[in-house]
Amino acid sequence: MTEHMQDPLNHPEVQLANGRAYLASFIISMLLMTVGLWLAVTHITTPLGTVLMISFLAGVAVIIQGYFILHMDISHAQVWHTVAMVLFLPLFVVTIGLTAWMFHGLYQRTMIMPPAASSMVHMSPMSH
Amino acid sequence: MSASAAQKVDPAHATLWARHYAGHDMIGTRTFGFWLYMLTDAMVYAALFATLGVLSHVVNLAGGPSSSAFINPVYAYGQTITLFLSVLIYGYSMVALKNGNRGGVIGGMFVAMLLGVVYLVISGIDIGNMFAHGIFPQVSGFLSIFFTIIIYHALHIIVGVVWMLVMMIQVAREGFSANVVYRLINLRLFWHFQAVIWVFVFAFVYLQGIVA
Repeated sequence: MTEHMQDPLNHPEVQLANGRAYLASFIISMLLMTVGLWLAVTHITTPLGTVLMISFLAGVAVIIQGYFILHMDISHAQVWHTVAMVLFLPLFVVTIGLTAWMFHGLYQRTMIMPPAASSMVHMSPMSH
Repeated sequence: MSASAAQKVDPAHATLWARHYAGHDMIGTRTFGFWLYMLTDAMVYAALFATLGVLSHVVNLAGGPSSSAFINPVYAYGQTITLFLSVLIYGYSMVALKNGNRGGVIGGMFVAMLLGVVYLVISGIDIGNMFAHGIFPQVSGFLSIFFTIIIYHALHIIVGVVWMLVMMIQVAREGFSANVVYRLINLRLFWHFQAVIWVFVFAFVYLQGIVA
């Protein structure tokens, strides 16, 4: 008899549901994504500045959602979920970061650029 | 039990092993296993986003359109609203589960499922518009990864919608048995994870696609 003979609704992972946290996550994420959309559509900064600001907004939204709706915290019920996530993050960053870095170098050394490529990289979409 | 849910782990006194067998926690074991599975799914997304980073380079346009030429952010923003709302309503369904309210769980899940369907309809209209303008995955390397990412995400939403339909039937038939409860928690992990992934898709595929 290893099974707990108790109501499954008393399990801590059921009890951690929190309506106010979910609502906060929804409002903050929607605000951040709306600001991102506004930045992308209005072109008020340079393309690089817009890309960096959208990346920052996305990062904040992911952290907000990770805490409020995925419950990534150090409570007894969730600590191993959080540990698994923390151990996973370097894999995620390294996979994307190293690939982008390697191919950025490879393209410069190996690819024949289209005639307009060198100028197109720095051109904003509105200018043509 | 609910006291231990709020109790924090003190890193200074945490031990890596249990001195006494605490009994088998069936629900906790299965949700943790499913969480590890979701992280492997996130690795697939990591590979897809790495590919997007590589194929976004101008040499991969192959004469086809760049993303700023065809992306209409209105559809993607509509998808953002419906998916985040669906995740919120599913959260309320889990609050109803906490209170043992069977009708609340089924009703919340039904609304969350409908919003998932609305998401898929918007996604279908968006992709249909692109196809109507001759923007197909086979046109260029960039369009291949663009459609792969948005269709891979839409497939997850289809799985979530079907899963919710199944869980509504199970809750109605079995009530809150241990098996049903761990499946509801797994579905929460799955569905809420799709919102996190969508932040990446919306920001890095759609918004940065307009800017690039």
